[in-house]
Amino acid sequence: MAPGTEDFLKLSLHINGAAHAVRVDPRTTLLDCLRETVHLTGTKKGCDHGQCGACTVHINGRRVNSCLTFAAMHEADEITTIEGLGEPGTLHPMQVAFVEHDGYQCGYCTSGQIMSAVALLKEPCGPSDQDVKEYLGGNICRCGAYPNIVAAVQAVRRQSLL
Amino acid sequence: MAANMGNNTLIGKPQSRIDGPVKVSGQARYTSDYSFPGMLYAVPVGATVARGKLLSLDTKVAEAMPGVRAVFHGGNIGRLYRASFLMADLVLLDEKRPPLADNDVNYFGQYIAVVVADTFEQATAAADAVEARYAAERPVMNFDLLRGTELKQSDHRGDAVKAFESAAVKIDQVYSTPVQTHNAIELHGTVAVWEGGNCTLYDTVQGVGNHQLVMTQRLGIEREQLRVITRYLGSGFGGKISAWGHCCLAAAAARNLNRPVKLVLSRRQAFESAGHRPATQQRVRLGATAEGKLVSLQHDYVNTTAMVEDFTEYCAEASPFLYSTANMSSSSALARRTLGAATSMRGPGAVPGSFALESAMDELAYQLRIDPVALRHRNEPALDESMGIPFSSRHLTEALNMGAERFGWSQRSSEVGSMKRDGLTLGWGVAVAAWGAGRFASSAAVDLRADGTARVSCGTQDIGTGTYTILAQLVGERLGLAMDKVEVAIGDSNLPAGPLSGGSLVTSSLVPAVSRALDEVSQRLITAASLLPDVRWSQTKPEDLQVVKGRLVVKANPSGPALSFSEVLQQTGVRSLTGTGSSDGTILEKPKLSKHCFSAQFAEVTWQPEMARLRVSRVVTVIDSGRIINPKAGRNQIVGAVVMGVGMALFEGTEYDPRKGVALNTNLADYVMTTHADTPDIDVIFLDYPDFEVNELGAKGIGEIGMAGVAGAIANATYHATGVRVRQLPIRIEALLEQNQTGRELKKEPWPTHPTTKTTPQPHRANDSPDAPS
Ligand code: FES
Ligand code: FES
Repeated sequence: MAPGTEDFLKLSLHINGAAHAVRVDPRTTLLDCLRETVHLTGTKKGCDHGQCGACTVHINGRRVNSCLTFAAMHEADEITTIEGLGEPGTLHPMQVAFVEHDGYQCGYCTSGQIMSAVALLKEPCGPSDQDVKEYLGGNICRCGAYPNIVAAVQAVRRQSLL
Repeated sequence: MAANMGNNTLIGKPQSRIDGPVKVSGQARYTSDYSFPGMLYAVPVGATVARGKLLSLDTKVAEAMPGVRAVFHGGNIGRLYRASFLMADLVLLDEKRPPLADNDVNYFGQYIAVVVADTFEQATAAADAVEARYAAERPVMNFDLLRGTELKQSDHRGDAVKAFESAAVKIDQVYSTPVQTHNAIELHGTVAVWEGGNCTLYDTVQGVGNHQLVMTQRLGIEREQLRVITRYLGSGFGGKISAWGHCCLAAAAARNLNRPVKLVLSRRQAFESAGHRPATQQRVRLGATAEGKLVSLQHDYVNTTAMVEDFTEYCAEASPFLYSTANMSSSSALARRTLGAATSMRGPGAVPGSFALESAMDELAYQLRIDPVALRHRNEPALDESMGIPFSSRHLTEALNMGAERFGWSQRSSEVGSMKRDGLTLGWGVAVAAWGAGRFASSAAVDLRADGTARVSCGTQDIGTGTYTILAQLVGERLGLAMDKVEVAIGDSNLPAGPLSGGSLVTSSLVPAVSRALDEVSQRLITAASLLPDVRWSQTKPEDLQVVKGRLVVKANPSGPALSFSEVLQQTGVRSLTGTGSSDGTILEKPKLSKHCFSAQFAEVTWQPEMARLRVSRVVTVIDSGRIINPKAGRNQIVGAVVMGVGMALFEGTEYDPRKGVALNTNLADYVMTTHADTPDIDVIFLDYPDFEVNELGAKGIGEIGMAGVAGAIANATYHATGVRVRQLPIRIEALLEQNQTGRELKKEPWPTHPTTKTTPQPHRANDSPDAPS
């Protein structure tokens, strides 16, 4: 039997440093919860199957496809979305680098690319462009802004070595 | 405008996008980001047979499920009208049958119902519970399109058949391209909100004006009752031009329930019912002299189309004028297949057409033992021979030379498999392409404000192509303002009618409209001078004043006293002045000059025969497409086009089960697209010759021309590396393997390895080896 409204779950989610009390259908993915319930729509849905990376968020600092996990599984976790990274005026260095290097066209894959790129900074990724291309292989950009994305990521990595 | 071109500060200079900060912070609002109080979620139900009749629909279980508000189907959704094709308004609509119009099932996934519920999860579960019974028929799914199809001639000059027959050297081959799906990362979606009798559609569309025209017809309401908003679009590549059935379902459901409704397609549904590039099969016959001068060019093609919709993929569009030849003909036909409606996809016609024609040219080069670049030079026309008129601007020879130089083409040894690097076999290939240049009708408004800012508004949209930024550049340049002082309002059908984002025509359409709006608002500023308190200004005759870089000056003394527009407005107590401008489209005009853009593409592949690994390692692309207004975004767009061209060459194709007519790889893992890791080094060169026939800045479009030619260059490079002439895209390992397994010693053969003068085409069946040795 499909869950009725009475079966909805009350959750407390920690997102971008703030607690959010939500009530969701138990079947709700973290992605849909963020977008439709918490109205943090910067995280995008491109496939709902873990195949495009547009929905990438950080859970306890690690990158995760938010379409592949249920909201109800993350009460104990610290969730960071693109909105938590920086806003116009106070952008994260990776966001600044994406603007500077034109690391997007339509902008739809961009949140996911940036969340992956920021997570990558702490991963054991080798120094070359080819290494970055492999590590970002799960983030599809149909506009094909790939070389500029890699340039943006490498610029930030160089800065952070200084 | 020309007077200002000497001291450009914004135009032609690389600019970061003005919408960058909102895009990188998740604040740019795309269609499905909108939510409204009381909003419901709709999920369409698609047919699970490809062809036949819908006999009955059982919605009882679905209706009783938690949260379900309604299940709409043909019997209860209300009237949805067929939209007409009004050429005068250039309404573009590739699926004319309204959804749920009748019980005919014309393709797999065609909508048969839509479920509306309180949450997305409830609607999804209930959509799965809708039961349908069908009388199914066998779908028509073969892709052997030329066989048995009668073609209709569309272009001809001279006697192409006779000239071909008597030609010294002949190529006669068939080339095939599969169904390709746009797969913009943003899924198609609609959020429909009714208030009283008025509807607002937040929609994923490439033309807010086009969508408004179509949807008012569909819904049977007046134009002023419908507003379409697309502030940001997660790109479209042609797939978001047509108003697909789901837009009607969302709008009708919202009307019926008097609640906002959000409907976002799944990736699978987007494959099935939101358009695709049709499959093509093209026969190219080239006849040439022994010196490599073309004497005959025939380009005949068939593309798939839906059972009840017509769509032509104009594969031979460039063939009448790309090369010089006295004898030329092309013909085409549609092949009805049990598929959803086909639609434009990036470079429609030109992209698959160039693959076929440029592959044939490469085959000719090998047969003649002429360098492929030299062969193209030898056939460069002096004018557009199809219309007997000059080109407005064509620098293809220079494009080829520049690309060859940058690529290092002079180092190429023509023999197949003869070039090596780091243990890999290299293949180098070249191809060229053309795409039409022109304008859509467009209007725009420019406001000057007392606070020193300006606003430009236009009912166009930015689909990722940088339109926000270009508008800020055009206005900032002329008014002497920094781009952050220019507010850009687009993506709303309430704004002055602007161009559709398609055909690479937006920029060239906007230039004259915005320029005229700036002329008019400048004139108004001069008129406003008569109200200035200072008599030196108010008593100067308007004809003695002019506006330079947003400042009022005396014509006779342009470097003398000046008032900025904000000073004029502040001193006269006026908040803002508005100017509007418009320009005609060129689509229906009879041209005096042939206006196109051109590209020369050079590709390098690496080949490891021991593991049949083919990779694209390097692409040099030279674009001859007028003046580039923002080289930063422009270069990015060309890079993206090459990336998509790599996908077309090596990966992309929607696969169908021929018995069921169902698309099988309807997800982003099985429909393989180019990823970061697949992206070659891409070198973009803009020739930057302004084409003032198109507009006063000489700007043309680049979105399509960047992709055309890429797949051909890669296929030609693949032949050079492997000796396998793959005539069916995508180039699969199997095609390369089968050749190797025949035991052919590719490397030892002297070039040319592949003399082909078959006079009858050998259409390929799916999975045929493209070049099975006879
Ligand atoms: S939406 Fe999650 S990976 Fe595509
Ligand atoms: S910017 Fe459009 S999909 Fe990446």
